[in-house]
Amino acid sequence: MTLAPNPDAVSGFFNTFSGIFIFLIAVATTMNTISGEFETGSITPLLTKPVSKNTVFLGKIVASFLTLIAIYAFLTVYVIVGSVVIEGSQNNLLLAPLGLFGLTLATMVWASMVILLGTLSKSSLVAALGSFGVFIGVTIVGTILSSVYGQTSVLFYAPGGGANGSTGSCETFPRSGTNFATGTDNLGYLLIQLVLNPSAVLNFCGVRFGPGGREGEIFTASSDTVATVALRALAVAIVYLAALLVVSWYAFRRSQIVESA
Amino acid sequence: MDTHVIQTENLTKSYGTRIAVNHLNLTVEAKQIHGFLGPNGAGKTTTIKMLVGLLRPDSGSLKILGMNAAGDKPRIRERIGYMPELPKFPKHLTGEELLDVYGRMYNIPKETRRKRIPELLKMVGLEGRGRDRIGKYSKGMQQRIGIAQALLNDPELVILDEPSIGLDPVGMVEVRDMVKEIVKGGQTVFFSSHLLAEVQQICDHVSIINNGNMLFTGTLDEVASKAGPSRRLVLEVQKASDSILHALKALSFATVNTNDNTYTLHLKTKDDVRAEISRAVSAAGGVILRMQEEGGGLEDAFMSLVGKEAE
Repeated sequence: MTLAPNPDAVSGFFNTFSGIFIFLIAVATTMNTISGEFETGSITPLLTKPVSKNTVFLGKIVASFLTLIAIYAFLTVYVIVGSVVIEGSQNNLLLAPLGLFGLTLATMVWASMVILLGTLSKSSLVAALGSFGVFIGVTIVGTILSSVYGQTSVLFYAPGGGANGSTGSCETFPRSGTNFATGTDNLGYLLIQLVLNPSAVLNFCGVRFGPGGREGEIFTASSDTVATVALRALAVAIVYLAALLVVSWYAFRRSQIVESA
Repeated sequence: MDTHVIQTENLTKSYGTRIAVNHLNLTVEAKQIHGFLGPNGAGKTTTIKMLVGLLRPDSGSLKILGMNAAGDKPRIRERIGYMPELPKFPKHLTGEELLDVYGRMYNIPKETRRKRIPELLKMVGLEGRGRDRIGKYSKGMQQRIGIAQALLNDPELVILDEPSIGLDPVGMVEVRDMVKEIVKGGQTVFFSSHLLAEVQQICDHVSIINNGNMLFTGTLDEVASKAGPSRRLVLEVQKASDSILHALKALSFATVNTNDNTYTLHLKTKDDVRAEISRAVSAAGGVILRMQEEGGGLEDAFMSLVGKEAE
């Protein structure tokens, strides 16, 4: 017997599992990635073996990526089995691998931020706390920018949760249609939507204050198709990932082992 | 073929305004056991870290096995073995696993690794402990596994940074024997130490460094002769007398201090003058109970070079 049937439980999982969850997974898997080698001093014997620093760096990144894929593959299988058992047969199960890919890529954006801070500071504490600061900063600033000022376009190009898109109209209340975050964090769900509803229109709402700042109204700040939004988020994620990794790689190559641990 | 295994020219490295290594010219020839001596903070580890590519020199040139060695040079690292000062290895690996992982980095074939790893563990005295995690190793055992990993690739040049630090006296002797063993295989050993006795016992060449400056480099004999002025003979006689003192004072090659029935002669010569002294004392009616040479060794040379008064 199944409880309330919900054929979209699996794709719903990809929509819910973002933001702080993926950030924490990124921190847990990568806070020690390079900084840990510096902290424990095991970097010294490692870097004096005949492997180039490039190989060591690449190995660290590939290992982080594979760890994340493994975590999410396990989680996805668990969610699929659980959903089928509890909530009945599921739609679009074939898209689950796409969601898994998006989720991993989204997490890698944060992971590369953690790796960069760890490489620069050689401290896993700074890596974890520093990237948490960035995460909180982006989230708070993003919320203020998007909801109060309607500057959603800034959020299209920032990492994190991004702007909230709605298939319903901004002006009607209560809002109809579905809402979801369109930032890099939600890449798993966005890629699924890209396949399912590429031409659906998403509205991004803002709040506008009247003269004197007393009365506000909600208005449509911008609109885009799901295809545009999803591909843009994908491109933004790849650019951030690449940029953060290139800077970390450069920092790692330049690093010197001064302290005798 | 170039016999310079290590050759640096004006090698310099600063940390901020502090100059750690100052225009260092160091040459180590093949098959030497070359001791690198200096007080703590003299720049030994900084120099070694530049040799193995962990630090970038600010200026000067650095050649290892004839190749330019500044920067990230895996092809040089293939041919050298290095043990860091107080080495730290991943704690979750066992000794065998660690050597196996490092062996794979050296591209050592599996069969060779399987044979070589137990041999090395036995050589460094970790037989039977290879399956224990490194996290459970004592300081001395970590030092030993550090030596084992430095010899894994049968290197042409072995660089050891303070190999006997943290070891008990028995361990120190064992390390000394290991170093002697390595050189029998025709390898070059360059090792830093602040223990003079250790260096004196195993090295044929020494370089002495202080405040980043090279004070002396050459053979042990050369360094001993540098310390010539402080060579002393301690003479114990049965009964002190003025005539003995007179006879000793008459010797042209020494000055004399007296203390009860012990005379200390500060020699101005490098020759063996014991027979002459013995004759002089006998002629003055004295009986020698003990005659012992002191100083003139590495310790005195070291002390005079680093500008401290030898006791």
